[in-house]
Amino acid sequence: MHEYSLAHALLQGLLDHLEAEPVQGTITQVQVRKGELVILSEEALCEAWRILVEGTPLAGSELSLERVPSRLSCASCGYDGPARYIGEESGWHMAIPVLACPRCGARVEVLAGKELAIVGLTLEMQDAPPSGAGPRAAPEPPADKPEAEAH
Amino acid sequence: MHDIRVPFGDILKRQLELAEKNYQKLTDRNVRGIGVMGAIGSGKTSLILALAERLRARGATVGAIAGDVAGGDDHKRFTSAGLVSASLNTGDDCHLDAHRVGHALEQFPLDKVGVLFIENVGNLVCPADFPLGTQADLVVVSVTEGDDMVRKHPKIFTQTDVVAINKIDLAEAVGVNPQTLVTDYRALNPHGRAVLTDARSGRGIDELLSALNL
Repeated sequence: MHEYSLAHALLQGLLDHLEAEPVQGTITQVQVRKGELVILSEEALCEAWRILVEGTPLAGSELSLERVPSRLSCASCGYDGPARYIGEESGWHMAIPVLACPRCGARVEVLAGKELAIVGLTLEMQDAPPSGAGPRAAPEPPADKPEAEAH
Repeated sequence: MHDIRVPFGDILKRQLELAEKNYQKLTDRNVRGIGVMGAIGSGKTSLILALAERLRARGATVGAIAGDVAGGDDHKRFTSAGLVSASLNTGDDCHLDAHRVGHALEQFPLDKVGVLFIENVGNLVCPADFPLGTQADLVVVSVTEGDDMVRKHPKIFTQTDVVAINKIDLAEAVGVNPQTLVTDYRALNPHGRAVLTDARSGRGIDELLSALNL
């Protein structure tokens, strides 16, 4: 329900960042890490982004979300790792991380799973030579210069 | 295509930093802040009034910030009951956040209260993502919402250590077994404490105060 305000905060922060440190090329994709404990609809966040970027230098860009699983740290037994999940098999509607130590049951500190951050950008280089964009973009040999002539 | 990494801040971490400022402010002023979350109509305001009445009978001074999308109805209820109160309207937002609460605390006479309830907008989803800087948090779920409310909104319950299962007097009338809610909550949050309450009769209020360390 707060996807628009979070998308707006991500966008405003990125625009400020780009003003201070401009990049060359067109931003086509914005990579975001989203902790699994953050309560938001990924679909709604992406849709909010599409709407909010209109009229900005990021127009046409898409969000790419990477879901970050919970990571817990236990001061009692030293456990450091993923949470135990209550899953669909026990009648729950989704897999839910339990925020207690999977080994000894004590209270834990949540080290990962609550983040929402932009971590990377994908740029399309407008002035790049066509042959420099990787193997898939390698140009076909000119029709008037058959490969046989090269041998 | 060309990928670059950007050292860009976590926007929810910024919320946490603002919440920590609120926490520090309340602690410095010897105020115990209690965040109260729950769906529309779960009985948050009535429960705060019942808790406040019991606290005041013990000699404590109690205040409340009434968070709502619009209007001052809950604020009026708090004021009428003799609480120091402020109204905090979000306009369109479906939850309070630490920034808004920080501004409300600037205006609030913190020297007049020892306990401050901060009632969130009626919503069982979003508030879990926005810590306010309170010393303890409470989720209110009423039996009239159905016995599947914990299953339907698991994330807020995994992250909140005190739950009031309210309107317990109506459980039989609506055919809900409160123990279903308690069992679901304990499965999600083994360290959490669920208290059965009826704000109108005062049932469970002392136990809830104890769970909130009040």
